[in-house]
Amino acid sequence: MRPLTPRRIILICAGLTGVLLIVVLIALRMGAYSISIQDIAMTLFRGALGRRDEILPDFWNVVFEIRLPRILLGILVGASLAVAGAGFQALLRNPLADPYVLGVSSGAALGAIVSLVIAPRTPGAIQVAAFVGAALTVAAVYFLGRRGGQLDSATLLLAGIVMASFLSAAIMFLITTLSGHDLLRGMAFWLMGDLASPPPTRDVLEWFGFLFFVFVIAAGAIYTTSSDLNLILSGEQEARHLGVNVNRVKLVVYISASILTGLAVSVSGAIGYVGLLVPHVMRMIFGTDYRLLIPTSVIGGAIAIVLADTLARTVMGPTELPVGAMTALAGAPVFIYLMRRRVR
Amino acid sequence: MRLFAYKMIFAAAAASTLLCIAGLTALRAQQAPPSASQEKAQAAAPESTARTLTDEAGLRVTIPAQVNRVISLAPNLTETIYALGLEDKLVGDTTYCDTPAAARAKPHVGDTINPSLETIVGLHPDLVFATMINRIDTVEGLSRMGIPVYTTDPRTVRGMFDSTAHVAELMGAPEQGKALVAQMQARLDALHAPLTDRPLVHVLFVVWKEPLITIGQNTFIADALRWAGAESVVVSKQDWPQLTFEEVVRLQPEYIVTASTHTGEEGKRSLEEFRALSQWKDLEAIKAGHLAVISDEVDKPSPGLIGAIEDLAHQLHPEAFAEKSTATGLIAAPREERTAKCAR
Repeated sequence: MRPLTPRRIILICAGLTGVLLIVVLIALRMGAYSISIQDIAMTLFRGALGRRDEILPDFWNVVFEIRLPRILLGILVGASLAVAGAGFQALLRNPLADPYVLGVSSGAALGAIVSLVIAPRTPGAIQVAAFVGAALTVAAVYFLGRRGGQLDSATLLLAGIVMASFLSAAIMFLITTLSGHDLLRGMAFWLMGDLASPPPTRDVLEWFGFLFFVFVIAAGAIYTTSSDLNLILSGEQEARHLGVNVNRVKLVVYISASILTGLAVSVSGAIGYVGLLVPHVMRMIFGTDYRLLIPTSVIGGAIAIVLADTLARTVMGPTELPVGAMTALAGAPVFIYLMRRRVR
Repeated sequence: MRLFAYKMIFAAAAASTLLCIAGLTALRAQQAPPSASQEKAQAAAPESTARTLTDEAGLRVTIPAQVNRVISLAPNLTETIYALGLEDKLVGDTTYCDTPAAARAKPHVGDTINPSLETIVGLHPDLVFATMINRIDTVEGLSRMGIPVYTTDPRTVRGMFDSTAHVAELMGAPEQGKALVAQMQARLDALHAPLTDRPLVHVLFVVWKEPLITIGQNTFIADALRWAGAESVVVSKQDWPQLTFEEVVRLQPEYIVTASTHTGEEGKRSLEEFRALSQWKDLEAIKAGHLAVISDEVDKPSPGLIGAIEDLAHQLHPEAFAEKSTATGLIAAPREERTAKCAR
């Protein structure tokens, strides 16, 4: 294995970013409304210069109102879930950990359902309520998952799993008692994960700006712990002896990964598999060093979701599938292929 | 190690910032355009008479002066538009819109829960009709692009009349709407007279057999039952409550009412179906053959509902219409015979 140099990290990330750009272009091109790549380029160019008058209203709507916000949301959600997954896998020292293993998605779903009952048909209510639900779950799991005042991987995992099943039961109870509710039809979509929801604010710019800001802070915080995570993964005692503040690292990863998951779940529902599979795929391709794993997971997660959503929008056209169905359907075979190839 | 980490953080932060800036500049233009489009709308306003009104879901909608192209996002609305004879203005409907058969040939925009917004944009509608089964996300997404969405919410048979009149009025054909409503009202009045001094038949309306789903008292189906001289034995505030079979045995409905599928001659087959089920075959109503199978038009708050009400009234109260039927020839003979044979 070649040594990990900053140069190598930057080269790999640049390569992956190139792949992401190609995927974004494909996603912009594909869809029920057919629009040529030249028209997309011209629309983007004129849009960036603020010359909207020169753009056909149809092109404007398709590119700037429908496809681009969806792609940006996909990038953000995919990157958040993949980093959170990588973080939880290290924190819990469990390869099966994903962003939802500690019940964050169940808490968010419960919040979303409660919002449908209290404030039905209010744009943005679901997102806010889901985030509140996720935050409360994270706090509850944190207090349940400590032993001797410190985060303990095994206790945390158990607390999270118990919390997740308790909340899932509460969700099932609510769904059954509310089975008449017309609004629950949309809920099924939300539970599977869906990127079609428009931003809750009138100002799209402000919304994505806010989301990217939170993402950069939380993902950056996890990144600062990456060399410590490498040591912790080889053994907590050894890491302590080497001067790593294990408790601080765990707390930082727990909070940041929870924020990322809560954010992703609130805006798009529980999109499965990306948070579990992407870090593993990146490990298989680029190795287990967290200094490389975290940035590659960011870009890999974005690629995975944008691709999956493009498929979800087009395979059944004009009917759109929830992106969550596509990530599982397309993700599992890719993962099995990589796993078998490595075993051989 | 530390230095390396900081370098990497810097690189990651710089990359994310670049990504943010790139994404945000592309969206920057979005802030200005809404005002530009509003200006355009205002400039266009004086010569025509665009008007703003509140739809049945309580949302403000601006309706353009000329509505020549509409899209229906629900089967009952498609049917209403056909019943009004305004199908030439219908440029798109959903994959679920199959009544009348001609509706299948219209361009589809996807299903009711998740239609493709870009397909709708490509069809250039002046107005989109929705119901409460459509998600608020769809309505919100279309409104953002300046496509007006009028949501109907018929909860009773009279509510369906109002919605029909609204659709006709919005499509610039108020006379057709008034005529259709008057005709439907006349048919209900004709039904009402013979039923006035007859007791209500206590029925169980079966929406779904396994699990057993029935109707709540606030649905338009419950209202339709009352017009047909029947009353649901189940009193529930939920719209589509799920029942245990014990409850059915306790309530002992006089008649079981259910909607057919589109295939012909389902009446007899359905009774056999119920008799083949161990639970159902011992129910008094089923033993006595008290099963009324009516057209699935009863599932949709559209003008076809009146036909289903008439059919049900004739099946439940054959005596009330006995003399009349010979005069008007309204009743289908085989059903009359079958229900008449059942001792009550």
